[in-house]
Amino acid sequence: MKKPWSLRGPGLGGKLFLLSCGLLIVPWFSFRQLIEMEGFWVQTQAHAQLLNAESISTLLNGRSDLFDDFPVAVEDYDRLYVHPLPDAIRIDGRDTDWTALDDQRRSFGEEHGKLRDGGFRLLLGERGGFLYGLVDANDDKRVYRSTHLLRLDNSDQLRLTFRDAANNEQRITLALTGPDTVTAYHVDSAWRFAEGPPENRVQAALLETAGGLTVEFRLPLEMLGAKRFFGISYVDVDDPHQRNIVSVTRSLPKVDDLGVHLVLLRSHEVLRIIEGLVYAGARILVVDTRKQVRAEAGSYNGRMRPVVALPANTLIDRWLEPVLPYMRAVLDLLPIDYHGHATSSSTAADRAIASSLAGRPASLRRELPGRQEIIMAAYPIITGKNVIGAVVLEQNTDDIEAAQRLALERVMAMSVLSLLLVMLALLAFSMRLAWRIRSLRKETNNAIDSEGRLRTSSLRAQMGTRDEIGDLARSVSNMLSKLHQHTRFLENIPRTLRHELNNPLNTLSTSLHNLEQEHPAVANSRYLQSARRGMLRIGGIVQHLADAASLEESLREEERERLDLSALVRSYVSNCSLAHPKCQFVLRGATQPAFALVADYRIEQMLDKIIDNAVDFHRPGTPIRIHLNVLRDTIELRIENSGPVLPPELLANLFDSMISQRGPGSDGVHFGLGLFVVRVIAEHHGGSVTATNLAAGEGVAITVRLPRTDVATTRSRLRGLVTTPTSGTR
Amino acid sequence: MAKRIAIVEDEDDQRVNYRDAIIKKGYEVAAYANRADALRGFSTALPDLVVLDIILGDEIDAGFEICRELLSRAPKLPIIFLTERLGEIDKISGLRLGAWDYLPKPISLDYLAERIASLLRISDARSTGDSGGVSSTAKRVGELVLDQDALLATWKGTPLDLSGTEFRMLAKLVRVPGHAVSYESLMAATMQSLVTNNTINTHMRNIRKKFEKIDGSFSCIKSEYGFGYRWLVT
Repeated sequence: MKKPWSLRGPGLGGKLFLLSCGLLIVPWFSFRQLIEMEGFWVQTQAHAQLLNAESISTLLNGRSDLFDDFPVAVEDYDRLYVHPLPDAIRIDGRDTDWTALDDQRRSFGEEHGKLRDGGFRLLLGERGGFLYGLVDANDDKRVYRSTHLLRLDNSDQLRLTFRDAANNEQRITLALTGPDTVTAYHVDSAWRFAEGPPENRVQAALLETAGGLTVEFRLPLEMLGAKRFFGISYVDVDDPHQRNIVSVTRSLPKVDDLGVHLVLLRSHEVLRIIEGLVYAGARILVVDTRKQVRAEAGSYNGRMRPVVALPANTLIDRWLEPVLPYMRAVLDLLPIDYHGHATSSSTAADRAIASSLAGRPASLRRELPGRQEIIMAAYPIITGKNVIGAVVLEQNTDDIEAAQRLALERVMAMSVLSLLLVMLALLAFSMRLAWRIRSLRKETNNAIDSEGRLRTSSLRAQMGTRDEIGDLARSVSNMLSKLHQHTRFLENIPRTLRHELNNPLNTLSTSLHNLEQEHPAVANSRYLQSARRGMLRIGGIVQHLADAASLEESLREEERERLDLSALVRSYVSNCSLAHPKCQFVLRGATQPAFALVADYRIEQMLDKIIDNAVDFHRPGTPIRIHLNVLRDTIELRIENSGPVLPPELLANLFDSMISQRGPGSDGVHFGLGLFVVRVIAEHHGGSVTATNLAAGEGVAITVRLPRTDVATTRSRLRGLVTTPTSGTR
Repeated sequence: MAKRIAIVEDEDDQRVNYRDAIIKKGYEVAAYANRADALRGFSTALPDLVVLDIILGDEIDAGFEICRELLSRAPKLPIIFLTERLGEIDKISGLRLGAWDYLPKPISLDYLAERIASLLRISDARSTGDSGGVSSTAKRVGELVLDQDALLATWKGTPLDLSGTEFRMLAKLVRVPGHAVSYESLMAATMQSLVTNNTINTHMRNIRKKFEKIDGSFSCIKSEYGFGYRWLVT
């Protein structure tokens, strides 16, 4: 029973395709693995860096002299740190080239956490033998030096105090002459008048800011003596007329006539040692116990080291070559975080350094602004039992990242390629599989025709293959051949039966004859008569069975001709009253020619069976109605009789063999073969037969539909069908 | 002198029954159970008529073999085949026998006796009146001439190669030309015990074919659907 619609799942190919989509997880796994691997690489590199740092530190171990290069006890003085400047400084008053040291500013003149008027912030740096300074002063009223006045102490100014190489005290005033003019003078001890011409070795620039002004200056380091005492003060004058000094803010909080600091510089000795150890992409810092950088060499911003090339000469790599650029483009689109484990905190770096200064080597992975990542390893420098400093080795991880990326590209490309290949293979495989199954199904379907007869005793498709489908084909084929044998056996039963029964019947019949001849007295015996009748009946049964069994076979051998069924039926119905004198037959339709390609006496045989049936079941006195309707493509022959209706469950299989609605008491030979013969003949002619109960519920109609044949196709062999029959003789 | 009838039948009961019945009719009978015995018997003396069962034991075509053997020695020897298969009639026709008939099992011994008598008569008639002329008992229906004694039919002067059964059916059909003859009448004419409409139709088709072989435009045998056949008078 066919459903009006049914939801059909995806085919074999679709299912395999869906399953193969599960393979998409492979690139993801590869990616995860790479991320995990990265952690391992980083750890390895950190370890290697620690070893490097250790080896550098061994060069410095015991060299406390390198760190104690100050002529005075450092602890006695407050200190100003001079920071190594990574980039060149332009003396223009702008602080844009100081940004790397922004957090190193020191404030002077702070009150309640804020700079008071006249307070300033200071940054000192060293580069190329010069001491650089950036002073950011807070001054609500700028009063510049008047060129009419000789005195220098009646305007806003910067005062520098230091000891020169001869250990003489030196005073230099940076006189602010205008918004962009600063002039340096050596001044007298009262800071009033210039001594001599302007000091050209000191260069400075001024820039006005919203809250005051910024002064940038530089002086050659050689001006400073070995003790490196250095002080700076900002003198604030607010009234442009009175020009009195409002405040003097010194870099040194405690009042001291000089107000100098110890300026700490990097150790050139240490620098010389480590400079030779620098390699690309790495920066070596040596810090002292006060976390002050004493020497620095190299830069992790430097040119990236050449990436360790993965061997790329295999066949697969050559295949991957054209795909990689696309892969790169795809990976660029993906939000992949390559810095999975890095910290961006600078306090962590401080802690690592502190840890190393406490004697414990430490390493750290650190992310810098701008997607840059470094690995930092800090190793203590030891003298005896004391830690005198630490070597900090910083190296960027660009090469790791690059290697990781390259590996990712290759892995992804390989995964995607292999995925595509596997999918293609699966697709091809499934298509082939589906094709094989379809061909098997097709042949299996064709093994049995529309009427359920076996056409072949074996299959040819897929028989040679050794897999499960081959097994299926072989078992179906085996089944078919067994079925074929069985069918042949069943088909031959009636014929064999007839042959086998006819011989004993013949014996019986001839024996009865001879008995009668030998004993004429029994000739009229009732028993002899009934024996003859019984014998004839058995013969009839066997004959009918054999005829029905070989019906299809003999139908196939018959030649058909194009006949006017109207004429045939007219002739047939007119003869019916001769064959069935007790019945009345009424023919309707059959007025226009209805040509069909038929074997005439098979149609006659079919009519015989239907009419016999109708005659047997008609209510005496009622006519049997025969309709012949010519439709567009079919000829419809309908035979109706009044009488008992058929049970509905019988209507469908009325035309199967051995189905009979007759009672056991009926006479004649009936096996339900009659209507079976009708069906076989109708179907053999490409038609069909149905049985229906009449609408009024008082009779049965049997309808045969046969295909019409176009009038102009075959030659006519009507043999006088046009003449009307006259009464015949017996 | 009594005519000699040879019977070849593998089943003892049937053979004995045939023999007894035929002896009663006044013939001399030689009965054989298999092909070897029969051929051995025929090698000494040929009978006047042979009744042949086609299947002998395991040999399905033994009857045909014997027939072929006999025909090579006596082409005009009358033979009656006992067979239950209509399909085999065609096979027998293929042998192109001069005089032959067949009876399907189960047979009636009366019919068998009649056929024996009839075939012997034809054989005699053909051997004596070999001049080719139509005998006085011949019946003429249009172009058809039926010689009842010789069981010989001619259409437009050409002899038709009909079996005894076919001849009798044709004779019945043309008894009153133009009138329809019912299936029942034709069945009776076959002188067989079990005949269906289909058997008649098959015979009629064979007869029609034999006419058409001689005359392509032959159309005198017409089906009376649901009743029987009619010989159309042209």
